[in-house]
Amino acid sequence: MEIKYGLISSDSHGQLDRNAYSSRMSQSKWGERIPHVIEVRDEKYTEPVERWIVNGEIQGGNVCNCPTAMSNRSYYPQRWEEVPLEVYLPTERAKALDRDRVDAEVLFPNGPGGTFFYNDAEFELACVRAYNDALAEFRQVSERFIPLAVIPFMSPIETIIGEVERAVKAGHLGINMLADPSVAVNGLKHLGDCFWEPLWAACQELGVGVHLHASAGLAGKLSLPRWQGFSTRQAHCVSTLRNFCTATQFVPYLIFSGMLERFPRLNWVFAETGLGWVSSVLEACDCEWEKRRLWKDGIITRPSDLFRRQIYVDFWFETVGIELRDCIGVDNILWESDFPHITSTYPHSWNAVEHSLAGVCDADREKMLYRNAARLYRLV
Amino acid sequence: MPTGKKCFIATRRDFTGWFSIRKKMELKHGLISADDHVQEHPDVWTSRMSHAKWGDRIPHLAHMDDGSEEWMIEGWRIPFSGVALAGAAMPERGQEPKRWSEVPRAVFSPAERLKTMDIDGIDYSVLYPSVSGVAGQNFGNAVDPDFEIACVQAYNDWLIEEWAGASPRFVPQCIVPIWPMDSTVAEINRAVKKGHKGVIYPASPMELRGVPHLNEPAYDPLWATCQDLGVPLCFHAGGSVKIQMSPGGAFKPAVAAAFGDVVRSVSSIAVVANFLLARVLDRFPRLKIVFAESSIGWGAYELEYADYQSAADGLPSMGYTLKPSELFQRQCYFTCWYDRMSFRARRHLGIGNILWSSHFPLASSTWPDTRRHLESALADVPEEEKRQIQWENAAKLYRL
Repeated sequence: MEIKYGLISSDSHGQLDRNAYSSRMSQSKWGERIPHVIEVRDEKYTEPVERWIVNGEIQGGNVCNCPTAMSNRSYYPQRWEEVPLEVYLPTERAKALDRDRVDAEVLFPNGPGGTFFYNDAEFELACVRAYNDALAEFRQVSERFIPLAVIPFMSPIETIIGEVERAVKAGHLGINMLADPSVAVNGLKHLGDCFWEPLWAACQELGVGVHLHASAGLAGKLSLPRWQGFSTRQAHCVSTLRNFCTATQFVPYLIFSGMLERFPRLNWVFAETGLGWVSSVLEACDCEWEKRRLWKDGIITRPSDLFRRQIYVDFWFETVGIELRDCIGVDNILWESDFPHITSTYPHSWNAVEHSLAGVCDADREKMLYRNAARLYRLV
Repeated sequence: MPTGKKCFIATRRDFTGWFSIRKKMELKHGLISADDHVQEHPDVWTSRMSHAKWGDRIPHLAHMDDGSEEWMIEGWRIPFSGVALAGAAMPERGQEPKRWSEVPRAVFSPAERLKTMDIDGIDYSVLYPSVSGVAGQNFGNAVDPDFEIACVQAYNDWLIEEWAGASPRFVPQCIVPIWPMDSTVAEINRAVKKGHKGVIYPASPMELRGVPHLNEPAYDPLWATCQDLGVPLCFHAGGSVKIQMSPGGAFKPAVAAAFGDVVRSVSSIAVVANFLLARVLDRFPRLKIVFAESSIGWGAYELEYADYQSAADGLPSMGYTLKPSELFQRQCYFTCWYDRMSFRARRHLGIGNILWSSHFPLASSTWPDTRRHLESALADVPEEEKRQIQWENAAKLYRL
């Protein structure tokens, strides 16, 4: 693809149209269980609002999480007609990219779409297929969209791999993963379980990376008990802030579990977790590896070398991690806009870029802003 | 974020105070280790607690039927991989001693510890426990408050008698009964009077037993007492088991231990996130908090993120008078030991907020190469900042 602006967002959120599931799932088989938008009453609003409903369960939050696409950035749309086309219609979304002078964006889910845990593997698979097909259409419209597939966690591993292969053929360039599926649903296997190994092998062969977004499903597990005294906004701040607690523990997990050694060409991509913590974590892992001589226990490669070979991290507001970029690996750093979520840099992403990258040489800038992403997703 | 200029002014002011500090304390090496661990020996509790009253519940080293030894508190086995935290002092580094007879004297004998400090070039050592929990959390599980107090007091008395009594180079810190606050405050007063210079409190007491959330005003007596006595309150990493990812079954023991240590340190990210917004720092502006066993890199990032996210969430309009990073720099400290390159982020954390530690005798301790480690890690750091990080910040905090 052509690089016009020199900026690729490695973490944005692609919203599916309200009919995305209804038009792809069997009405006769799934009926009202199909994810769709309905009108409901919400005590906070005098007028009826709209919400997504999946398997008969009304989804929390708003009908679309897209405050930065709204003219009033603190407003979340309550009815579908308020949702700007540039959030869910690929042709319009491409115009938003131009407005923000961004070449391409990686599409993580915008609810509902990350997981479909309703105690029914067949239903989950049907939803996953509909999601992957609908999101793949973004790439069919424009190669500026980089879709990531979701997987049917509750299916046998052969089915999961089959769906990944199908999705990749349709245009997906990576998969979404939970840091520990066994925390999300009772009965699913821990990420380190041999159950998942064929999936890692398949992704390695297909050349698609495994993506973990923010707390990657561990927010509840790795948080202190929540204090009821916090207001909604305070609680949001605390929980958002602590999200990188997952990545700081999961990177050491990948290293010390030997998974990176066993699948040396498989890439792991962390989205919305920032950069500044990475040097600490690598120094800690290297120190433990040296002091305990862990090469004798099967961790052959120095942890920081493993990281630089196979792990990617991204930034959007910070300066700390940029100053430490050579301790992290300037080839492992991506940029993200997080469009259209509340912390997004849209529509002034280049202002945020200049804030973070003041004084950084052109070669490093280009790598972090688009060359690394272009290489990772084989865009050029 | 602080500008370079701001940091310089703060440093100048600190520098003036240095001369008065210097008169009182003796510095041979110019290094204070702000987070080391003592190993409680098998007589700490058995010789100080009433056998008639507590019997087998007393914390002790139990000899198991299979010949192994385990630390037990009220029938609960302390989750050690051996009988002591001694990894750095063992002949085979990282291999924890399985029997008390294998435990190196440097971890439990003050006289031997002083020798290791001389070898490693360390003047003062700030002490945290081991059997009592690295974050002072292990007696917090006790359902019987009298038993909790008895265990806590035995530890605090022992540390004064055997360690502080042996040399002023040891900086003792007390552990406390986590609840009720009357008992907590009474023990702090008692311990500080005896010579303790810091208070260790587990950062998530509500996970230990059914006590209120740490952010509740019910804890105000704890903050007020520490503030009034001028002793820092220390949240050592590891106070919450829940927020540490478990390695699962597939890790070899040495790898699991390495993973556990790395994860324990970063788990404090969640503790810091909560505390920065909990309003305790605003309400007790002279209270000093130490987040022990942390790191400059992730700390600097967390502060920058906290400022960014709290603004995005509109918190400045909710009565927070200072940004999270400003609160931190006014009142909080990180102790670090893994750090090398991460020192480059030191100004984002605050030069005056960094305490060095050798973290002896944990396997990852810089022992016995602490001086060499610091020489290379601080090679590009100006002398004035080096001095702050290596001893001056700790000397002021602990009033040495």
